Amino acid sequence: MSTAGAASTVKERADLALNDEFLRKAVKFTTERLRNGKKQASDEHGNWDDWRERGRQIRLHTIAHLDYYLNLFADQARANGVHVHFAETSAEAVKLSLEIAQRKQAKSVVKSKSMVTEELHLNHELESIGVEAIETDLGEYIIQLAGETPSHIIIPAIHKNRYQVADLLSKEAGETLAPDTSILAGFVRKKLREKFLEADIGMTGCNFAIAETGSMVLFENEGNARMVTTVPKTQITLMGMERIIPSWSDLEVMATLLPRSATGQKLTVYMSGITGPRRDVDADGPDEMHIIIVDNGRSLQLGDPEFQELLNCIRCGACLNACPVYRHIGGHAYGGTYSGPIGAVLTPALNKNVGEWDDIANASSLCGACYEACPVKIPLHEMLIYLRRRKLEQGHGNAAESLGMKGFAAVMGSARRYSTLVKLGKLGQKLVVRDGGIRLKLGPLKGWNTYRVTPSLPKKSFRDQWGTLEQELRHGLQELDPAVKSRMEAIMRDRDSGGGNGHG
Amino acid sequence: MKVSLFITCLSDTLYPRVGEAMVKLLARYGIQLHFPTVQTCCGQPAFNSGYWKEARETAKTILDAFEDSDFVISPSGSCTGMIHHYPKLFEADSHMHARAVKLQSKSYEFTQFLVQVLGVKDLGAVFPHKVTYHPSCHGSRLLGVKEEPLELMRNVVGLELVPLPFAEDCCGFGGTFAVKMADISGAMVTEKVDHVLETEAEVLVGLDLACLMNIAGNLRYRNQPVKVMHLAELLYEGVNQA
Amino acid sequence: MANQAESHDEWLKQLAEDSKRKQESFMNGIAQKLKRPRVMEAPKHPFRGAPDFWQSFEWPLEERMDRFEENFKSAGGHVARLSDMDAAKQFIAEKAVSLSARYVIRQNQPELNELGLEEALQGTGASVRVWNSDADENWKARAAEADFGVVVADYAAAYTGSVTVLSSKDKGRSVSLLPTVMFVLIPLERLKTRLGEILIHFDEAGREQLPAGIHFISGPSRSADIENDLTIGVHGPGVVYALLIG
Repeated sequence: MSTAGAASTVKERADLALNDEFLRKAVKFTTERLRNGKKQASDEHGNWDDWRERGRQIRLHTIAHLDYYLNLFADQARANGVHVHFAETSAEAVKLSLEIAQRKQAKSVVKSKSMVTEELHLNHELESIGVEAIETDLGEYIIQLAGETPSHIIIPAIHKNRYQVADLLSKEAGETLAPDTSILAGFVRKKLREKFLEADIGMTGCNFAIAETGSMVLFENEGNARMVTTVPKTQITLMGMERIIPSWSDLEVMATLLPRSATGQKLTVYMSGITGPRRDVDADGPDEMHIIIVDNGRSLQLGDPEFQELLNCIRCGACLNACPVYRHIGGHAYGGTYSGPIGAVLTPALNKNVGEWDDIANASSLCGACYEACPVKIPLHEMLIYLRRRKLEQGHGNAAESLGMKGFAAVMGSARRYSTLVKLGKLGQKLVVRDGGIRLKLGPLKGWNTYRVTPSLPKKSFRDQWGTLEQELRHGLQELDPAVKSRMEAIMRDRDSGGGNGHG
Repeated sequence: MKVSLFITCLSDTLYPRVGEAMVKLLARYGIQLHFPTVQTCCGQPAFNSGYWKEARETAKTILDAFEDSDFVISPSGSCTGMIHHYPKLFEADSHMHARAVKLQSKSYEFTQFLVQVLGVKDLGAVFPHKVTYHPSCHGSRLLGVKEEPLELMRNVVGLELVPLPFAEDCCGFGGTFAVKMADISGAMVTEKVDHVLETEAEVLVGLDLACLMNIAGNLRYRNQPVKVMHLAELLYEGVNQA
Repeated sequence: MANQAESHDEWLKQLAEDSKRKQESFMNGIAQKLKRPRVMEAPKHPFRGAPDFWQSFEWPLEERMDRFEENFKSAGGHVARLSDMDAAKQFIAEKAVSLSARYVIRQNQPELNELGLEEALQGTGASVRVWNSDADENWKARAAEADFGVVVADYAAAYTGSVTVLSSKDKGRSVSLLPTVMFVLIPLERLKTRLGEILIHFDEAGREQLPAGIHFISGPSRSADIENDLTIGVHGPGVVYALLIG
């Protein structure tokens, strides 16, 4: 496993990552490039917020009518000759996948990138029945060789630099490969070509599924997903039940948002819409095609007003690239299949076990960069707060913190008690203030003061001074400009008539 | 017309000079700020940590304090932003919810009020220093206060505004985050201060005292002489110099 | 696990029955969680497709050509503007000589049947194979060993620098995927401005008319998985020529 393997909490794993200068540099370098690429691409495209809103509306509409659209998709895909299956749990999805592989007497499966199969740990399951599973996306192939899991939704090997990659691939090649990107990629091309041509099954994820025609759509740059859906005789696609969009016209909006948000591209090199297995007269494409529709916790979000929008996610990874926490700790610190802000919310939400994911929701400063980056405007920064609240509601609170918050409310609930506490603070701090600052590394100040000096309380608070200040002001007050006055009155009238709420 | 000051607990206890600067600056335009003393804290520390019951108890002091105000002005985009969460916080209680919606509609961050409501963009201030600006996340992203502070600073004579690299990145404060995830927060503030130092600015200015306290704390820890100021302080010093 | 004695078709049939049952309970479960009855009729979808301001956006032909070229090149592809099909034939023949191509595979399309590529390549050492022209041949293997793949675009979009190819008996998916170098001929009347102008055809055609494979291609195969450093030609063709014809 990676650096994060043995540690049991997000905090412990994050601390390991923070001490891994290698990893931090690699993650920072790539997220910065992706973030800039996204910014350039969305600026150049223009009207970005209109497109985001459109994307959001399409996703909201689809999820709100998911029973209709998913049902339509399944019927249409079946009419196209696809074998459609439904799996409520990861165990069911695994069972179906393995059964197909066994029926096909498969020796090897070539896979293109799929986060759903990561949820299911499908590679491991396939190996357990003696079927070789080969990841064919370059990044996925690298981390498969390293025996790790993806640390980024779209750049799985973001935490590796080319020297580490060269070491891994050299081992596989049985000779020393130079740490040169094109040499390394050249080796993988040659190696995987053979694997594509001999594989019995091609396995894919699904970016979007078009309800009206029963088609599945894949976005990719390398051509490996096309290989996987063109060369082997059997195709198995695993899709999350929420991947649906109604029509090809809606795909234009997703195709506008997804690549720009993910990598800053106008479109990925390949966007493929696959409608059923090969026609009888065709000379390529799979003879047999299966689509396994996976729930695995997704439907738990339906009808939950605080979390239903999670199902709008199009898995672009923009929130990871924008997140200052992700940048410092990388993906493995999050401890689940999905990392970054989306992972921090999705992991406990899919598992409905907020309590077990003890501190994952705490690994955020709630800065909102994820929301700003999200192409379908999922309010992840708010969902993190809802998770923290639910954790308490379910009785998984921290006793000391709960006591502290009760105290906070008791003090802050009354201006009198609040003033008293401030006075006590001024007395108490005399013991620890040096040079107008507090450097003590004890108790609650330990972590804070490891990086900072805490300011001391001044002699008089604002409210202590207010009386004097108010007296002073009465003398020098200017006349309010009549034009300003009437503007203020207009704002107030506008507010009363139901407007004005949206300022700022 | 009643224009009230929502001082915020940080400015009240640690940075009273910011409140003073605001009060005196607004007085120059005929705004006599009213200061209801029943106010305490907006409740954000409890709200963000999931303690909504406790947050409601605290938020009630703010709702009570500004019940009959027409405009509520604060020196913090984050605390004003917290008021924007009140309708959600009180969604189960229709009476309180209505009060929350009303308060939200009349709450402004300081520069927002100055520029959008008073229409003041040039205070006639002079501040001959090299300055860099950190746009705090809640104010700029969630409240949308982006242009106002920049416009105010562009009109200050002598002020040289140096762009802060990766300005929009969070400083790592995040309330209880800075305590619970101290090392991640520490890495973030260290990176922020590295960027501040890159600008070689004499002054770092911002609109949120929590972030400024965080950044100033790290600057001081590293013995860096960069001065940290709230924009209200800078403008007030500037008009006195003019 | 599965009873291997059943025939494969019987097993698939059994799976299909299970699936249909499961489908009902799945959909009922969704409706229940959404706290309303099942939606059985197509709901009104007021946000279908791109925003209104986008729907009427169109560049004149000259600009479409410029933008297509700009975008395709910036993705690492090559673009040539040629006056007619004869020039396209010459172009490909010259590349076959300069790159020492041995095997060329092309789609079995009327435009390419009339092109006369076979004659043009005579004596160059390159031979041309026509996709799926012989039922007994392993065409995927033939495409995999080909140096050149030659296809005609069904559509192209200038805004993203993309070509669209549709599969059929005579148009293999492998021809635009497995060879080292790909040539795609784009008759100018097929060059649109937006993706949406192409996608709408698939909505209008409906399920039964769609081919198994619809592929949008916007340059050579690439990856940035190692240190975000761009590598060309990872699995698909590393060299791609778009020939604008007309």
